[in-house]
Amino acid sequence: MDPRRAETGKNSDQIQSGHVYHLALDIGGSLAKLVYFTKNDEHIVGSEKKKSPMKASGISNSSRNSPVLNGRLNFKKFETSKINDCLEFINSMKLHLGGCQQPESPGSQTITIKATGGGAYKYADLFKEKFRISLDKEDEMDCLVAGANFLLETIHQEAFTYMGNQKQFVWIDKNDLYPYLLVNIGSGVGMIKVEGDGKFERVSGTSIGGGTFWGLGKLLTKCKSFDELLDLSYRGNNRAVDMLVGDIYGGMDYSKIGLSSTTIASSFGRAISENKERDDYKPEDIARSLLRMISNNIGQISYLTALRFGLKRIFFGGFFIRRHPFTMDTLSVAVNFWSKGEAKAMFLQHEGFLGAVGAFMSSDKHGLKELLANQKVERPPSKLSFSLDQTQVPQQDGELNGDESIECSVYGA
Amino acid sequence: MATKGSNSIHRSSSRPLLDLSKAEIQGNVEEKYPTILLPNQSDDLSHLALDIGGSLIKLVYFSRHEGQSTNDKRMKILKDKLGILNGNRRSYPILGGRLHFVKFETNKINECLEFIYSKKLHCGGWESHHSDSTNDQNAVIKATGGGAYKFADLFKERLGISLDKEDEMDCLVAGANFLLKAIRHEAYTHMEGQKEFIQIDPNDLFPYLLVNIGSGVSMIKVDGDGKFERVSGTNVGGGTYWGLGRLLTNCSSFDELLELSQKGDNRTTDMLVGDIYGTDYPKIGLSASTIASSFGKATLENKELEEYRPEDISLSLLRMISYNIGQISYLNALRFGLKRIFFGGFFIRGHAYTMDAISFAVHFWSKGTAQAMFLRHEGFLGALGAFMSYEKHGLDDLMVHQFVERFPMGAPYTGGKIHGPPLRNLNEKISWMEKFLQKGTEITAPVPMTPPGTTGLGGFEVPLSKGSTLRSDASALNVGVLHLIPTLEVFPLLVDPKMYEPNTVDLSDHSELEYWLTILSEHLPDLVDKAVASEGGTDDSKRRGDAFARAFSAHLARLMEEPAAYGKLGLANLLEMREECLREFQFVDAYRSIKQRENEASLAVLHDLLMELDSLDEETRLLTLIEGVLAANIFDWGSRACVDLYHKGTIIEIYRMSRNKMQRPWRVDDFDAFKERMLGSGDKKPLPHRRALLFVDNSGADIVLGMLPLARELLRRGTEVVLVGNSLPALNDVTAMELPDIVAEAAKHCDILRRAAESGGLLVDAMTNTLDGSKEKLPSVPLMVVENGCGSPCIDFRQVSSELAAAAKDADLIILEGMGRSLHTNLYAQFKCDALKLAMVKNQRLAEKLVQGNIYDCVCKYEPAY
Repeated sequence: MDPRRAETGKNSDQIQSGHVYHLALDIGGSLAKLVYFTKNDEHIVGSEKKKSPMKASGISNSSRNSPVLNGRLNFKKFETSKINDCLEFINSMKLHLGGCQQPESPGSQTITIKATGGGAYKYADLFKEKFRISLDKEDEMDCLVAGANFLLETIHQEAFTYMGNQKQFVWIDKNDLYPYLLVNIGSGVGMIKVEGDGKFERVSGTSIGGGTFWGLGKLLTKCKSFDELLDLSYRGNNRAVDMLVGDIYGGMDYSKIGLSSTTIASSFGRAISENKERDDYKPEDIARSLLRMISNNIGQISYLTALRFGLKRIFFGGFFIRRHPFTMDTLSVAVNFWSKGEAKAMFLQHEGFLGAVGAFMSSDKHGLKELLANQKVERPPSKLSFSLDQTQVPQQDGELNGDESIECSVYGA
Repeated sequence: MATKGSNSIHRSSSRPLLDLSKAEIQGNVEEKYPTILLPNQSDDLSHLALDIGGSLIKLVYFSRHEGQSTNDKRMKILKDKLGILNGNRRSYPILGGRLHFVKFETNKINECLEFIYSKKLHCGGWESHHSDSTNDQNAVIKATGGGAYKFADLFKERLGISLDKEDEMDCLVAGANFLLKAIRHEAYTHMEGQKEFIQIDPNDLFPYLLVNIGSGVSMIKVDGDGKFERVSGTNVGGGTYWGLGRLLTNCSSFDELLELSQKGDNRTTDMLVGDIYGTDYPKIGLSASTIASSFGKATLENKELEEYRPEDISLSLLRMISYNIGQISYLNALRFGLKRIFFGGFFIRGHAYTMDAISFAVHFWSKGTAQAMFLRHEGFLGALGAFMSYEKHGLDDLMVHQFVERFPMGAPYTGGKIHGPPLRNLNEKISWMEKFLQKGTEITAPVPMTPPGTTGLGGFEVPLSKGSTLRSDASALNVGVLHLIPTLEVFPLLVDPKMYEPNTVDLSDHSELEYWLTILSEHLPDLVDKAVASEGGTDDSKRRGDAFARAFSAHLARLMEEPAAYGKLGLANLLEMREECLREFQFVDAYRSIKQRENEASLAVLHDLLMELDSLDEETRLLTLIEGVLAANIFDWGSRACVDLYHKGTIIEIYRMSRNKMQRPWRVDDFDAFKERMLGSGDKKPLPHRRALLFVDNSGADIVLGMLPLARELLRRGTEVVLVGNSLPALNDVTAMELPDIVAEAAKHCDILRRAAESGGLLVDAMTNTLDGSKEKLPSVPLMVVENGCGSPCIDFRQVSSELAAAAKDADLIILEGMGRSLHTNLYAQFKCDALKLAMVKNQRLAEKLVQGNIYDCVCKYEPAY
């Protein structure tokens, strides 16, 4: 197993129980995401909604000797700008010590946890200084793919489509999952062809991504945050700034080439024909137009890339989506449009935590995957539940937007 | 596909360009040019088509070629007596003409209306035929573009014409197909500031992807004429660039925004891979300077919009949009298995950086397997397509070799600037030039060449250009007037017309271009003197001489600035451009008097020379003849060195001196091989050639003392001789029109020449009686004269006159004489018959480059039939 752990010698028992509370971090530019495991009989901070523990029937057919621990996989996020809150949280959970109350951990003891994302470099010193936590950096894309693979293979209601405000979960046969296209929309957009565990390749991408939306949006409106810009876009009307097919052909559809009059012919194309200043446009309309431009474009390139490599499914993830319904909707519309209805955009329930989950899985000493994978019979093998320290209420459409946890069982290492 | 191709080839030989059914000659048949009545040729107005876009109006119009009546007598004799040219060949009624391309800004539509009115384009453009055609209320003109709807009423009101709207995409594709098939080197690639013109085999053109970048972007898969489908597109296009650019900067025009981008640094706005990872991300093959997120850097900083430089914003936008278009285009080409991607539309507008960015994106995403291509006539696709939508224009059937593009002053683009004053006559043109052509375009000394790639970079790096020196439209290519000359044909004796490249000197080499531009520039004052003197030095000729000097200097300056301005450029094109420019200012023959004087001087000593030759044995005579051709080739007013020489002696002195220096071996010396073919070796006497084509060069000693004696030798050996002269004057080159007179004069000194000339019908005027008398004598093989179809000191064998092509059919020997025809062009040309290339190298640089020799070295290159 993990050689480093073996070397820690006599403390191994305590530390072993600590492993159960395994923690992984994904520190991105705007958000820091945590994934950690808690045993069911452990105290969870503020927990109220405890679900009945899942039976770990996987024990008998497991090749491992270790006991199976029932518990939850918890997901939590912090704004990166408030990284201290994150550190506090970790401290309060004693996660770095494995969750066991062991007040007198000698100062010399350094604990290593898996981390990914740009912040894993940036904040490495801070973690070391404050809590003697050494961050073991994992490659971002490895983590992303590992996280997506794990979630898609093991979580029953992980993938869903979103069209016209309708969210629909899609059951995916895990034997028929690969190859798929994973589109990660961060500041830029990476498009990854995934053929199996650890088998993937970045095949394409575009520089027009979330950073473009937020960057241009910031310059064009007075928005102070990404979320504010997204909110604005929700209320806007892109017709004010976009040139539509109807604007060119006098309200008629250009049916010869199959374009309806409301199709966007040129994003921001209307801003050229009028003598209006920037301030004459509503920021809502600008935000809307930007969002549609970028989503549309990502949807198109993703579809073309999937087509090129013969990939059956396209999963979208990354902070740009952030389960924002309108973003998902425009992406879905774009994929639907360009594929003439043949392909559908899919999203992940735990989008945003792919990297953290991947980092968590990166040294799979917990056997989580194997265990869960063997529990097919007990569908659903996992359930979602809100952890109690959830700070945000679900949005009006019932989307999960805050912290959550998955009940599950892991082997004690 | 195959049927289509062969079909068009078939039709080209008997093309009914106009509906000739029920045609009859109107009026007196004895008239020289009786009007032909074409009752079924209904549509005179098929001579103008419009593409009215949001910012530009593009006009394509056709004007009939003023009938070229040169040397009709000779032509008639050739046809009547020999019948070789008449065959089953059609004569071409009013088919030849010119296709003009003009642009106006849409917001100055009045200028456009005025232009059309003054050129009478709204009534067919045939001024002489339609004196009162303005009454015609039913005039219909093809138009496309959004403005065809918007301005329909205006056209009706002001010009009384109805616009017949054609579908935009149909026009676009028709225009592109026509250009790619009919215009040589229409397409080019653009990488890192360097243009490279590409010749695409018309039979291997389809399918291709046409990406039209207007406000939005359309991607069209083209499978053939009229066979296409819009397969994709993107809403992120030119409108997005300009729209976002307007909102983000205070630019008031698209061009201003483009120009800003050249001074930009996108690192201040874009998030690069290096910004995220601190270094490259080699695992996925991204370098630190790769743009990870367009405008992503703006998310990291708390800066107001005003704190960013508009230049940086413009560049960042331009890259974002160009890369995106390139990427999506490539993916679509891949998806549909299309070989080539052509980009067009107003977003490109010849803007070097835009083209670089798109090219880079295609290169990057295709990992070098695909190339972005652009069209020289980009911008005119729609208008040309609308023109093509007339049913009886006949252009479909024309082929590459029947088009010649020329660049007169006042063509729609001059130095890349748009204008369109109607220039009705030369006087207006000269006035216009005085007003618009900036002083200082003259280049008198070599201008330092800025290295290419001013906007270069193509990639992820920062532009090197320091914007102020490069206007955004500086690289917009000049669009010339397209001359349609149906009588031009491909020279049938070329081994491989597809691979044939006339130019020996490739001017895409910058030092080479600079050298030749300087040579031409230095030669200019002398040429102007000659030209003005040729017309008696009148005030009018002086004014035209000035205008010519200005115009030609402007061309040279333009080429200095943008070597690709006129498309693929070889030395031959440059030399021809000079001649065309002279003709444009109505200098029909600048060297007329010099040529006459030299012809007379040479003819005076011809008799002595022939006597001398006849006293030699066959072998010595052949050598002396070739020596004579090489020696006489020294008389060349195109060569600076030779012009200096003329001040030092008389023609015959120089000729003799020159011939005395002709000791073999010459720098290139295949004389022995040629001699063996002519005289054989030992007892073997080879059959004489059936017919020889002699491509003659200069007037004076060159033709009289060099080539005529050689022709005489061939005639004496029983070989028919065809003298091939220029159709139009070029320097002191002898023209086909002048040859019969020279031959007639020479015939007075020589019986061989006389009988051959009679037999070839050249002496019909001089000796009307001898026609009867000649029956009694032994009939001689004929000596004939044909024109080559060009007016340049060089020759492009892809485009020669039909009479030369006809004469070539029985020829088994061609002799190319002089630098222009055998060195500047055709040194490496391969022919299906024996070929002898003779020239004296009268330029040190050329001597070093081509034959590793020195000035006045000689080339005698003999190549048996391939």
